[in-house]
Amino acid sequence: METKLKSKALDEFIQVASTIANPEIQKWKDNGGKIMGYFCSAMPSELITAAGMLPFRLRATGSTGTELSDSYFSSINCTFPRHAFNMALKGDFDFIDGLVIFNSCDHIRRVYDHWIRQLDTPFVKILSLPKKSGAQQVEWFRSELAILRENMETQFGVKITDDKLKEAIKIHNESRRLLRELYELRKSDNPPITGAQTMAVTVASTAMPPERYNQLLKELLDDVKRAEGNTDYRARLMILGGELDNPEFLKVIEDLGALVVTDSVCFGSRLLWKDVDESIDDPLTALAQYQVNERPSCARMFTEYEKRAEYVHSMLSDFKADGAIFARLTFCEVWGFEQYSMINDFKEWDIPLLCIDHEYTLSGVGQLRTRVQAFLETMGK
Amino acid sequence: MIVGGCDIGSTTGKAVIMKDGEIIASTIIPSTTKPEETARMAMDEALKQADLSSIDDLDYIVGTGYGRLKVQFAKENISEISCHARGAHWMSPTVRTVVDIGGQDCKVMSISDEGKVVEFVMNDRCAAGTGRFFEGMARVLHCGLDGISSLENQGAEPSTITSQCSVFAESEVVTLINEGSDLKNIIAGINNSVSGRLNSMVRKVGLVEDVALTGGCAKNAGLAKALEKHLKVSVKQLPHDPQIAGAVGAALIAVEKAAG
Repeated sequence: METKLKSKALDEFIQVASTIANPEIQKWKDNGGKIMGYFCSAMPSELITAAGMLPFRLRATGSTGTELSDSYFSSINCTFPRHAFNMALKGDFDFIDGLVIFNSCDHIRRVYDHWIRQLDTPFVKILSLPKKSGAQQVEWFRSELAILRENMETQFGVKITDDKLKEAIKIHNESRRLLRELYELRKSDNPPITGAQTMAVTVASTAMPPERYNQLLKELLDDVKRAEGNTDYRARLMILGGELDNPEFLKVIEDLGALVVTDSVCFGSRLLWKDVDESIDDPLTALAQYQVNERPSCARMFTEYEKRAEYVHSMLSDFKADGAIFARLTFCEVWGFEQYSMINDFKEWDIPLLCIDHEYTLSGVGQLRTRVQAFLETMGK
Repeated sequence: MIVGGCDIGSTTGKAVIMKDGEIIASTIIPSTTKPEETARMAMDEALKQADLSSIDDLDYIVGTGYGRLKVQFAKENISEISCHARGAHWMSPTVRTVVDIGGQDCKVMSISDEGKVVEFVMNDRCAAGTGRFFEGMARVLHCGLDGISSLENQGAEPSTITSQCSVFAESEVVTLINEGSDLKNIIAGINNSVSGRLNSMVRKVGLVEDVALTGGCAKNAGLAKALEKHLKVSVKQLPHDPQIAGAVGAALIAVEKAAG
């Protein structure tokens, strides 16, 4: 799909999404700023922002191999942690001053074990993220966040006050609100922004100072509102899955004439569909509540399948998607099992679904192309 | 109306010319390292066969297969999934499940009464159950592809080959050879293990008769026999060469495209 959108802000987002140590990171470091890395969308970035640090979500963008990390992982481990840890061993994340990992899945959890032994990042913490929603779990996660806050205060000599947290929540909610505005524009019959472009924008939200991000995002929104819509697409598609941070993956799909109009992936809509509740007096509770109960749930959460299916279904109809592609990283158990439940629901909804297993790095493009093209042909598009 | 279909696969290039709904020429040549040249060579040979002087005599050409983007004389490209389904259905209109086993992948399609793909599965970047797999096995067994295919070579007690990976399966076969297993049983075991994999792919889209095999490996009679055992239904014999099903499908789609 040839895009008609021209925007300087978008170019900057694309640059941030396609690199690791982007110019914003360099600038932040040059000014003496500290950077906290993290691995999962369960991380309340607000806590890092409130500490005066820059939140940076780790990706393995641009990775070309796993030769160093293969001594720590087996060939049936997900390629995302293998590539990310390989980059860490190569020193590509040396700019981070700290790292927070979660028990997101067994593969990521093991990155922690190896990281603390093989690398000398001064501050590495692992947080226990509940696998169930509910009031008790919110309390549990709040206490994990309280410990993290204390540890960060000691390590970095800062005070993370409630007021600072509330301020940070406002800033990050602003990003979410602006991003929802961008998603809203994709509901039209001729969305002015493609799925690949949108993914660059959402990915960039995890790798830039949030105030600067919001300012750029406003510029982008102005450009998108003025841009001509995309008219020459064969079908409107939704993307489902877990870790997916590569706009190029969506570009392969869109180059075949499809237009990705929405998603439920963890570098996409699930980051932004809900706000953190600013009316809750205790900001740590608000953040815990948001992560455990409020935001669109990840497939790792028990008892939430119905809610997830409902979310997917409403996204499909609100964005008028003709079909969906479920992209799952090979060996991902969490999203693998989810796939089988979704297949049945899609049949019931009578909406075409294509399931794809893929590696973290974009390999096997020929097979991806064949499947997507055949899928579009099957849909009669 | 004269149309062409050109299917550039990983191992062979196929070209078909159809006139008024009949195949008037078909060729299969080994793929070169230049897909555009493979396409050209296959089509030139087909043109000669059809007694046509130039490619301009064809009203419409559709390209398909891995090299479909490199079929420069094609007006359009369609995925081999749609083309194989279409071709198999034209060869035998009662077919509802197509198992296409090519050089580097295998696919199973469930198709509608009109020959349109309803659902499909494709194996995941792995040589198991593909032409590459059989080539590797034939090399280790020094029996040639015909040796693996021949019904006389399908031993009564197939050896167990558990590995789904062709590299490891090859090691298993080497072990069996060195243990002194009967070669015919090993051959039957190889076809059996591929059939097991295909069976689970067929179950994913749902088994509906008739079932047909297409692609180069459809010519492996031993495999067809083993697959029948696994599926517990008989495999429909196609009245044309199953290896050209994709090119035939492409030509049929060309007829539609030419008509607008």
